[in-house]
Amino acid sequence: MTSDAETAHVHEHHWEWSWAPLFVVAGTFFLLPISFGFYFAYDSLMYTAIFAGLGTVLLLAGVSIWVNEGLTQTPLLAGVANIGLPIFILSEIFIFLSLFSSYWMLRLGGQSWPPEGTPDGGLEKGIPLIMTVILVSSSVTCHIAEEKLDHGDLSGFNKWWIYTIILGAIFLGFTVYEWQHLIHLDFIPSTNAYSTAFYTITGFHASHVLLGLGAFIAVLIPALGGRTNKTFVNCVSVYWHFVDVVWFFVASQIYFW
Amino acid sequence: MNTHTTTAGHAAVPAWKEWLLTTDHKRIGIMYLVGSMAAFGVAGLMALIIRAEQMELGMQIVTSGTQYNSFLYFHGAAMILAFLIPGLTGFAANYFLPLMIGARDVAFPRINAFSVWLFFFAIILALLSFVIPDAPDIMWTGYPPYSVNTSGNTAFYVFTVHLLGFSSILGAVNFLVTVIYLRAPGMGWNQLNIFVWTTVAAFVLQLVFIPVLAAAVTLLLFDKYLGTHFYDPSAGGDVLLYQNLFWFYSHPAVYVIFLPAVGILFEIIATMSKNRVFNYKAAVYPGIWGIVAISGIVWIHHLYISGMPDWIRLGHMVTTLLISVPVGILVLSLWGTLYKGAITYNTAMMYAASCLYLLLIGGLTGIPLALPSMTLHLSETSYVHAHFHFIMALFSAFALFGGIYYWFPKMTGRYADGALATFSFWMNFIGVNVTFWPLFIIGKEGMPRRYWDYEMFKDVLVMGHPFEDFHKVATVGAGIIAIGMIMQTYNFIHSAFKGKPAPTNPWNSRSLEWTHTVSPPGPGNFGDTDVVVDENWTPYEYNK
Amino acid sequence: MRKLLSAMTGLAGAALASGQALAQEIRNPAEEWEHLWDEVMMDITIIGVIMTIAAIVMLIKYRATSPDQVGTAKKLTTVQSISFALIPAAVFMADDFYLAANGWTVWNAYRRVPENAMEVKVTAYQWYFEFEYPDGTVADGLLGDDDLPKPILVPQGQPVVFRMYSEDVLHSFGLPYYRVKEDIMPGRITYVWINTEEAQTDAVLQCAEFCGENHSKMSNPIHVVPQDEFEAWLAKTAAEG
Ligand code: HEA
Ligand code: HEA
Ligand code: CUA
Ligand SMILES: [Cu+2]
Repeated sequence: MTSDAETAHVHEHHWEWSWAPLFVVAGTFFLLPISFGFYFAYDSLMYTAIFAGLGTVLLLAGVSIWVNEGLTQTPLLAGVANIGLPIFILSEIFIFLSLFSSYWMLRLGGQSWPPEGTPDGGLEKGIPLIMTVILVSSSVTCHIAEEKLDHGDLSGFNKWWIYTIILGAIFLGFTVYEWQHLIHLDFIPSTNAYSTAFYTITGFHASHVLLGLGAFIAVLIPALGGRTNKTFVNCVSVYWHFVDVVWFFVASQIYFW
Repeated sequence: MNTHTTTAGHAAVPAWKEWLLTTDHKRIGIMYLVGSMAAFGVAGLMALIIRAEQMELGMQIVTSGTQYNSFLYFHGAAMILAFLIPGLTGFAANYFLPLMIGARDVAFPRINAFSVWLFFFAIILALLSFVIPDAPDIMWTGYPPYSVNTSGNTAFYVFTVHLLGFSSILGAVNFLVTVIYLRAPGMGWNQLNIFVWTTVAAFVLQLVFIPVLAAAVTLLLFDKYLGTHFYDPSAGGDVLLYQNLFWFYSHPAVYVIFLPAVGILFEIIATMSKNRVFNYKAAVYPGIWGIVAISGIVWIHHLYISGMPDWIRLGHMVTTLLISVPVGILVLSLWGTLYKGAITYNTAMMYAASCLYLLLIGGLTGIPLALPSMTLHLSETSYVHAHFHFIMALFSAFALFGGIYYWFPKMTGRYADGALATFSFWMNFIGVNVTFWPLFIIGKEGMPRRYWDYEMFKDVLVMGHPFEDFHKVATVGAGIIAIGMIMQTYNFIHSAFKGKPAPTNPWNSRSLEWTHTVSPPGPGNFGDTDVVVDENWTPYEYNK
Repeated sequence: MRKLLSAMTGLAGAALASGQALAQEIRNPAEEWEHLWDEVMMDITIIGVIMTIAAIVMLIKYRATSPDQVGTAKKLTTVQSISFALIPAAVFMADDFYLAANGWTVWNAYRRVPENAMEVKVTAYQWYFEFEYPDGTVADGLLGDDDLPKPILVPQGQPVVFRMYSEDVLHSFGLPYYRVKEDIMPGRITYVWINTEEAQTDAVLQCAEFCGENHSKMSNPIHVVPQDEFEAWLAKTAAEG
């Protein structure tokens, strides 16, 4: 890890600092807890809008500073994010496991299934199939993009990266469509145990897709200007594959069981 | 090792930026320390109100039961989530872990700053509960259906947990990668400080178990505000689901507190007795990792009275009791480190010595609680309060304070010891005994927890006295602690700027943070030469 | 160990025979609790005292006499270090099993309801309890004329089992006098039984699980009285209700 030439090198050290973490946290803070609180606990649409707006601006600013710094500065140890991300994913796995076990508990808790209030014949099975195909293909395009980057083909990378984003967005579009459809059928979160689990788990997965898309765009914008960082790309794509794998479990447990 | 990174202009950066916006692990550590001490101060103030309210029958200080409940909520949640966990895994680990392993910083400095900001905003959110209408009033455990039905603002509770949880998860990722990849060249696993091992173990617990807590409270949020039915039996949910998820995290969380606290003790005791850690490998592998291994299968001991099936309560009785085996092995190493030592006393060592006693009282009083038949009576009484205040609020907090004294010269270049330190130590030590022993006694006779009034017990006599007398003693004790703590806080602040200057290695320790850095260490920690250790080096090698 | 085995076979036997053979002997959990408490206290006190003395002796004996003195403990050999882990582990484990076996025995006393027990249904509300007797009479613990909750009576001599249910949030049925408590919740039915051989007017039922604003006010005396007194009270309550 350490070459002798490097250790012999004399470094000048100074205090490091950055605005990015503060901005991202402040943004998240206003966007989630505060807006949520004003909307649900204190019923104030105006404050919700103000704080959500403020939060979004701060969040975007923070992320862009962060990405910029990530591209211009070298970390203590190159590529170490490739180890950090899987460790983080371990923790994500436990969140999904908790959600699934809550669902199993609801479902195996003795009620007849599907419980009353579920649309006749259960949920539509075609949509999740299409969604699976879309998500899997997005994993493939993502992988191709990475290959292109490995071979130094930046414009090829950009192209395939954009395909991935489009596929991801279509996937989200399907979620929105399906939710709308079900809400029309009066299948809303409070309908019964099934809807409870359905919206929670698909929603939670969708939020991961959204986060992934955000990360894709954060990679894309500088990449269009010719700046990329392999570790960054690699992490985003590993995350995306993870989101993809989770979807298999969502689909099998929620739709096809 | 290439450590150099360039920020825009390092020519003339204002000092406040270099502090507030820092990504340096030491300064982040200090920020954690300041934040967690502030949380301790406010939550301690709540404790004083609680004690004043319980001192006599009837209502004295608070204006309603709900207000008492919100204060108690804040006290419990802030002490655990915003004082001890950030104090130990935020401050202590941040500042000293990289120094101990010879790293120039953590693996992801910006994520580290991100974690500390999540922590600060979580505190802000928690503090907001004093100014918003309908403050959360659901206790730190937040059990539904109450937390769903209440008009209190459960959302703020949930989001506080989210922010802190996310902060800890990222911290865990950061530190695990740091320990695995940034150890000084030559440093093998059996050469790590015990403190490093205990924090690694704590971070593993955080990484695996926090997500479960996050899920539990998220479902609470959905149930309350989005109308889902996870915890609602009338629509197929189950109230016990929450309790299971919650304790599946919150039991291991007590070891997230316990382990680093023990780690600090090892550092203090080994250094002050100039002795090698007794049976190092036993302490690490069956000890620390034994605790980690069992910690995930004992949570039902918090649900002994909650109507779980009998067989599962008995199963967890056995696993809970078995925790005493790894803890016992770890504790033997702690005791053994004194054996044939050459002990010098200072404030840090006094805290460490008192911790041995607090650990025994707190840990051993957990043993009756581990037996479901005993707990059918003891659960939800002030006996439980006394148990966990001894092991958590006293033992772990004292270990943290001892650590602050121990590392104070490193962080500031000055000593914090002196008459004021000694005096405040004794105030604290006497105060905690006066406060919490009476709670054991009346707890055993049935004094329930979370009661601001106990009128129905006015005829119950213990040793010839009503509960009220015991509560009075406890309140006096809390007053003594308060004086001690305030003096100590003053002493820290004063000594940081005006204390007696200290040499770089005042205790003649062998550990890297003392031998290889100046006090306080500058950016990059070790100056120009990277730390390299040989295979015979250990942090505890005094007697070659 | 033998106790553990007999407790285990006892449990299995009970599950099979659903308590037929065991029903003759009516145990007294509260008394057994007190006995177990003494035993456990003895156990942990011994451990605590040994460890404390060891600590104090070492803290005093091994003080440094000069500033640059160092500790002289030898590095353990492999055999030593394994023994220093295994032997204590075995000792601790033996103690754990001893405690587990005793705890388990008492547990059975708590959880096996005598067959002749009278069943009282308890429903908990924010913030009071309601009791339904086998004959359908309902008594609640709401405040009486003197602003104190009215006592609830049960007959002496016949064990009483409370089957409990909650309409709103969690509560808990805590009876320190009988050294017992169990949560009450929506969606599940839980139970507690008490041995009523002795009459008493001291027991206070208290809510022991946090349930909101008046959690600390949710309580009710429970008296054990002779059969005739109980019947008179029941009749009177039925007439009022
Ligand atoms: C740092 C925090 C911490 C730690 C380390 C512990 C450690 C232990 N705790 Fe504690 N506990 C809490 C914090 C902690 N606890 C909190 C906060 C609560 C209440 C939460 C709430 O409801 O709000 C609680 C509640 C609690 C309960 C639930 C009570 C109830 O609500 O009904 C139980 C029951 O089993 C329990 C048991 C134990 C045991 C067996 C240990 C063991 O790990 C102790 C092991 C240590 C020793 C045993 C001493 C040293 C060992 C030896 C000297 C070796 C030889 C000993 C033997 C062979 C016995 N604790
Ligand atoms: C780490 C955890 C921790 C710590 C340190 C403490 C510390 C204290 N606790 Fe706490 N306590 C809990 C964790 C902790 N507690 C938990 C988890 C609960 C359960 C909650 C529940 O039931 O849900 C609880 C419940 C609890 C109760 C039960 C109330 C009830 O059942 O109704 C009581 C009552 O006596 C109490 C008392 C005290 C006291 C007197 C202290 C004292 O040691 C405090 C001493 C500190 C001070 C007096 C502050 C000192 C001042 C400064 C440092 C000054 C400067 C700074 C500023 C002002 C910014 N605690
Ligand atoms: Cu009912 Cu507490
Ligand atoms: Cu526990």
